[in-house]
Amino acid sequence: MIFSTLEHILTHISFSVVSIVITIHFLTLFLLVDEVVGLYDSSKKGMIVTFFCITGLLVTRWIYSGHFPLSDLYESLIFLSWGFSLIHMVSYLKFKKRKNNLSAITAPSAIFTQGFATSGLLTKMHQSAILAPALQSQWLMMHVSMMVLGYAALLCGSLLSVALLVITFRKAIKIIGENNNFSFSFGKIQYMNERSNVLLNTYFLSSKNYYRYQLTQQLDRWSYRIISLGFIFLTIGILSGAVWANEAWGSYWNWDPKETWAFITWTIFAIYFHTRTNTNLEGVNSALVASMGFLIIWICYFGVNLLGIGLHSYGSFTLN
Amino acid sequence: METLLNPSKTPNLFIPKTHLFKPYFLHSNFNPQPHSSFNRRPLSITITCKVKTSQGRKNDGKNISKKIVLTDSAPELSNEEIKAKPKGGGKAWGVIKKFPKRVLAILSNLPLAIGEMFTVAGLMALGTAIDQGESPEYYFQKYPEENPIFGFFTWRWVLTLGFDHMFSSPVFLGTLILLGTSLMACTYTTQIPLVKVARRWSFLQSADSIRKQEFSDTLPQASVSDLGVILMGAGYEVFLKGPSLYAFKGLAGRFAPIGVHLAMLLIMAGGTLSATGSFRGSVTVPQGLNFVMGDVLGPTGFLSTPTEAFNTEVHVNKFYMDYYDSGEVSQFHTDLSLFDMNGKEVMRKTLSVNDPLRYGGITIYQTDWSFSALQILKDGEGPFNLAMAPLTINGDKKLFGTFLPVGDTDSSNVKGISMLARDLQSIVLYDKQGKFAGVRRPNSKLPIEIDGTKIVIVDAIGSSGLDLKTDPGVPAVYAGFGALMLTTCISYLSHAQIWALQDGTTVIVGGKTNRAKAEFPDEMNRLLDQVPEIVESSISKKPDNIGG
Repeated sequence: MIFSTLEHILTHISFSVVSIVITIHFLTLFLLVDEVVGLYDSSKKGMIVTFFCITGLLVTRWIYSGHFPLSDLYESLIFLSWGFSLIHMVSYLKFKKRKNNLSAITAPSAIFTQGFATSGLLTKMHQSAILAPALQSQWLMMHVSMMVLGYAALLCGSLLSVALLVITFRKAIKIIGENNNFSFSFGKIQYMNERSNVLLNTYFLSSKNYYRYQLTQQLDRWSYRIISLGFIFLTIGILSGAVWANEAWGSYWNWDPKETWAFITWTIFAIYFHTRTNTNLEGVNSALVASMGFLIIWICYFGVNLLGIGLHSYGSFTLN
Repeated sequence: METLLNPSKTPNLFIPKTHLFKPYFLHSNFNPQPHSSFNRRPLSITITCKVKTSQGRKNDGKNISKKIVLTDSAPELSNEEIKAKPKGGGKAWGVIKKFPKRVLAILSNLPLAIGEMFTVAGLMALGTAIDQGESPEYYFQKYPEENPIFGFFTWRWVLTLGFDHMFSSPVFLGTLILLGTSLMACTYTTQIPLVKVARRWSFLQSADSIRKQEFSDTLPQASVSDLGVILMGAGYEVFLKGPSLYAFKGLAGRFAPIGVHLAMLLIMAGGTLSATGSFRGSVTVPQGLNFVMGDVLGPTGFLSTPTEAFNTEVHVNKFYMDYYDSGEVSQFHTDLSLFDMNGKEVMRKTLSVNDPLRYGGITIYQTDWSFSALQILKDGEGPFNLAMAPLTINGDKKLFGTFLPVGDTDSSNVKGISMLARDLQSIVLYDKQGKFAGVRRPNSKLPIEIDGTKIVIVDAIGSSGLDLKTDPGVPAVYAGFGALMLTTCISYLSHAQIWALQDGTTVIVGGKTNRAKAEFPDEMNRLLDQVPEIVESSISKKPDNIGG
C-alpha cells in the first residue's frame, strides 16, 4: 500500500515539475524577459528533480512488483520519459559551461509520454501486473531497456533534425503562417528560444542569417551525436531480442510485425548515417531522413501495438 | 621537399588524372568518405591506381614516392605512393579486365546502396501491411479487381510479386542479395583503402595550412613539446618531428565501420545457412508418451543433413504448470528423458519456457501446452480417460472440454455431464441441463454428485507442446551479432587529429575531428589551457579562441 501511494506521489510530482519547466520556457519565449538566467537555473533544477522523481517511481515499481518495470505499455512509457530525462541529465552534465537548450525538446517529450501514460486511456494498466511465462527471463531487462532507451535517443535526435528543417525552411513556413493569425510553429519557438540565449553570449551585430547558420550547425551536430548513441542502443536492443527469441522460441528472427518495424527503423537510421558520409547530401537531406525516422519510430513503438498481434502482443492495449 | 621523379615516367603522372575523368562514375564513386574534408582527387588517384595495379604486382619495386600539393581546400601533404600503371596487353583484354572493376564500381555506388536500403525498408513495411501466408481467395477478397486500392493495387500485384509470402519472395530476397553484394563491393573498394590512408600520419609544414583547420589557435609563449606532453596525457598518440607535431586519437573509430559491414555480411551468411540447412518440427506429446526426434524434424532447405542424434527417443515423464496465487499460469515444465537407440537413458532434464534442452545439436523448446485427457472415476468404476478437446474462444486464453454421456447412449439426443477447464488445476462441471454443478481440483479426490452420478476427478493429464530445432547457422549468426554490437559501439568514437608547429616562440595549433564536432572545440580549449606558458612573469593569460 505504501508503495502504490509513493508511486502516485512521485508520478504527480514529476508531472507537475515538468509542466512548470515547460511553462518557464514558454514564458521566457513570449515575454522575452531579460532575467532569463535566474529562471533558466530553476528550469535546469526542475529537470533534475524530474529525473530523480521518475527514477524513484521506477525503482518503487520494481520493488513492489518484483520484476523489472518494463512488462507492459504503461511501464514502457514511463521508462521512455525516464529516458528523455536521462538524456537531458547527461547532456547537462557534459556541457555545464555552455548553455544547453536540449530541454526544449526533452521536457515536452517527457511530459507528453508521461501524460499519455497516466491519462485515463490506460488506467487499466497502472497496477503492476504479473509476468507471463515467456517474459520471465533475464533478457527482459537488457532487451527492452535498450530498445526504449534507443527510442528515446532517436526520438530526441530526430526532433532536433525536424527543428533544423523547420528553421531552414522557416521563411517558407512563415509566409504560409502569416496568412493565419495563429502562427506558432514549433520551429519558431525553438528558434526564438535558442536565439535569445545565443544573444546572451555574443553581441547582436550581423544579420539573422549568420545566427541561423550557427544554429543549424549546432542542431546538426547535436542530432548526429544523439542519433549515433540511439543507434547503438537500438542495435544492441534488436540483437539481444533476437538472441532471446532464439533461447525462448527457437528462432532468432520471425518477421513479427514489431521485429520487422524495428528493423525498418534501424535501416532508416543506417540510411541517415550513409547520407552524412557524402558532404553534398549532408545537412538538409540527412535531416529529412531523420524526420522520416521520427514517424517510423512511432509506428514501430505504438502503431504495431495497436494491432495487437504477433509475438509482441504484451504491449497491446484497447482504447475504451 | 624532395620529389623523386623518374624522368621517363613523367608523362605517366598525368595519366592517372585523365583516367579519372574518362569513366565519370568512377570519379563520383569515391565520394563517400567519412573524412569529409579530404579532397576527392588525391584519394581517387590512390584508389584508382591501386585497383589497376592489383594484377601488376611486378611493379611494386618501382614505387614512386611523391608529395602532392593541392591548391584548393584543406591542403594536406601526405606521402603517397603512385604505383606505375602496367601496360595491359591488347585493347580487348583490357576491356574484359575492366569489366569486374566496372561492376565493382557500380555496386559500390552510394546512392545505389541508399536506394537499396530504402527498397528493403519499403518492402518490409509492405510485408507487415499485407497479411502473410493466406490462401489466394483471401487476397481475391481483400484486394479486389473491381475496387483497387490507390487505383491500381489488386490481388494480381500481390500474388505475382509474391507479396503474400513477402519475406521469402524472390523480390525481397533479390534485393537483400543485391544489398549484400553492394556491402562487399563497398568494403573492398572504399573502406579498405581508407584504412591505409587513415593510418598514414602526416605533418603539416606551413602555419597557413594549420590555421585553415576546423579548429585553430595560437599559443604565444609555448613550446611544442609541452603541448605534446599534455596531449599524451589526454590519450593522444603524439609524433614530434623537429618543430612540427602530429597527434591523433580514436583511430579505431575509423576502422569500426568496416567491422560493421563485415559483421553484417557474417550475419547474412549465417542467416542463409540457417534458412537452407536447418531442421524444424513441433509436436504435442501427452504426458507419458514418447516420440523419436527424427520423425518430428523436417528439413527446411537443400543443405539440411540429418545427424546421428536424430535417432534419439524422447519420453515425456511429466508435464506440470506453476501458478500464481491469482490463478494465472506462471510457468510450464516438462520433465523429459532422452534414450538412444539401445534404450539407454542419455539425458534427463526438466524444460521450461526460457530454458530449453540441448542435445547433440538439437534443441528442444517448451512453447505450448494442451490438455490431453481427464481421468475420472464414475460411480466408483474406472478410471476412465476422457479426451479433452480444445474449444475456440476469443483471445489467447485456452479452453478445453469433454463430455461424459449419461443414460441412453444410443439415442440421438444424448445428454450428459460436461466438464470444462482452462488449465490443469481446476475443472468446472455442468449437469445435463447445462447448469453449473461445481468445481473440482484433480488432486483433491473429492467426489461430486451430478444427476445421480458420482464423479471423482482423478487426474488431469496434460500434453506438452515442444518445438524441436537444429540450426547450423546459429554460431555464425551469434558471432556476427556480437561483432556488430561491438563495432557499432566502437564506431561512436571520434577520430581527432591535431597538428602543431613551432614558429619562433609561438605554437600554432590546428585540429579536426570527424564525429564529435560539437565537443571538439571545448576539449581543445581545455587542453590548450593546460599548456604552460614560458614567461618570466607569473601572470599566465591564455588567448581567446579565435578560430573554429
